[in-house]
Amino acid sequence: MSKVYTLHDAVEKFVHDGDHIAFGGFTTNRKPYAAVYEILRQGRKDFIAEGGPAGGDWDMLIGAGRVKAFINCYTANSGFSNVSRRYKNAIEKGTILFEDYSQDALILMFAGAALGLPYVPVRLMLGSGLVDKWGISKEERQKIDKLPNEKFVIQDDPFNPGQKLVLLPTPKLDTAVIHVQKASPDGTCRIEGDEFHDVDIAIASKHCIVTCEELLGNEEIKRDPNLNKIPGFVVDAVVHAPHGAHPSQCYNYYDYDAQMLRDYDAASKTAEDFEKFITTWGYEPKTHEEYLNKLGAERLIKTRVVPGLGYVPRVKK
Amino acid sequence: MADSTNYTNYTNREMQAVSIARSVKNGQIAIVGTGLPLIGATLAKKCFAPDCILIVESGLMDCDPIEVPTSVGDCRFMAHCAVQWPNARYVGFQANEWQHGGDRMIAFIGGAQIDPYGNVNSTSIGDYHHPKSRFTGSGGANGICTFVNTIIMMQHEARRFIDKVDYVTSPGWIDGPGGREKVGLPGDRGPMMVVTDRGILKFDEKTKRMYLAGYYETSSVQDIVENTGFEIDVSRAEKIAPPEPEIIRIIREEIDPGQAFIKIPA
Repeated sequence: MSKVYTLHDAVEKFVHDGDHIAFGGFTTNRKPYAAVYEILRQGRKDFIAEGGPAGGDWDMLIGAGRVKAFINCYTANSGFSNVSRRYKNAIEKGTILFEDYSQDALILMFAGAALGLPYVPVRLMLGSGLVDKWGISKEERQKIDKLPNEKFVIQDDPFNPGQKLVLLPTPKLDTAVIHVQKASPDGTCRIEGDEFHDVDIAIASKHCIVTCEELLGNEEIKRDPNLNKIPGFVVDAVVHAPHGAHPSQCYNYYDYDAQMLRDYDAASKTAEDFEKFITTWGYEPKTHEEYLNKLGAERLIKTRVVPGLGYVPRVKK
Repeated sequence: MADSTNYTNYTNREMQAVSIARSVKNGQIAIVGTGLPLIGATLAKKCFAPDCILIVESGLMDCDPIEVPTSVGDCRFMAHCAVQWPNARYVGFQANEWQHGGDRMIAFIGGAQIDPYGNVNSTSIGDYHHPKSRFTGSGGANGICTFVNTIIMMQHEARRFIDKVDYVTSPGWIDGPGGREKVGLPGDRGPMMVVTDRGILKFDEKTKRMYLAGYYETSSVQDIVENTGFEIDVSRAEKIAPPEPEIIRIIREEIDPGQAFIKIPA
């Protein structure tokens, strides 16, 4: 059975207003930007956003007013925007609900969700503001179905009395969106390079959209199962979207577009310039293909990695 | 006109990188982020502690990047490492560090504010819900500070070294001896050292309070007292030897020739 969708149809079918959503990738690496731009175009909003190690992906959706509650551990296009600017602005202006966990905590909450655990007991965050302060109060949490009523619960370790544990609720994700190097029409995915938390959110979500650099045949991708990370039945939609992580990196395929990340850093300083930026790169191109044409072949070719190296040497001067 | 072969005109930032490098023990596993800690740890591997092992929180083990990565998720780490783990496996590995002696691993973190007991803020300035200035948040730092000995990078300014930080993102020694145990953290590890652009501070074994251990020749005890917002014991402070010109040459020509993190002085 083919799960191949156009980007438009995949987002239309599996991303809804108010959804609890997680993205794959890590700050400036393998972020599903093509899907982010499509979500922007379709006007979807009110997300309960699992930031994880976030960057411009969630920063754009926050800047466009699409995020109702942002679950944060770290949000930066590291090396370009050392704190993502629309995220920073939204918290400083009080325009979004936000919650802070440590990255270790969020990653274990994704992993716990993938293992089917209702919560994960950890020794993280003790003695810090992460347990002293709640970004989203219990009262506010009760109004939002998708959020657990408690940020965490602190309990004595039943097996080691006297040791405190922090119980973290695992998220009940509606949709995961990940960008991978290779996928096949039946949904089987191959991730090259660092896999981050992508497999966990794919397993833990009700729906999973995969965008890919290359669409391989169902038989071809199964020739080496050791290389494959996600079986087809986990995936709802496969979208062929070459350069779908641009302007972030995609190992073995392309490096980040440093100029675009610098331009975004400058544009995201003000609401007006940010609006111009996402109009130019998000709203005006009607499809991912139009986006690529707007970027132009030369620009894309310049980001192609040196084979065997995985990146473009000295891309950032 | 800058003299490109002058390696005696080192900057405070280069001195900070050298101080980081000197603090890594041979054979230690060093958790590095990007920026100065990566430059420092790479320098350690090249010059002072050839058997140290670099790991990053995105899940890459035993990294030896040729080109300076801009983030811990950068493909430049992936291209030259021994093992790729999913992020969760790294987190578990780090949490298992309680089974090992505190000296096996060392980590580097940074922040916007620090208090006398090494509690660090990298979350926000002002009221948490309505901050004057909001930063990234914890990233991997909180987990690191829970389980691993740390070296903290700071810009040495009075507004950053303060009695009480606005938000504790990464716990240090909390409020002194027994502070970590009291809140549920392993007590046999915590911040070891603060490396700034003016000098090096350590924590008193008995009181766990920060004291001045050394100052760079470009700084002075007086300069550091003026730029520290809390009372600081300077009775043990020593002048720190400048780096060998060869060390500065390696930073500029081999480690960060693109000047991604350390600018060569004009």
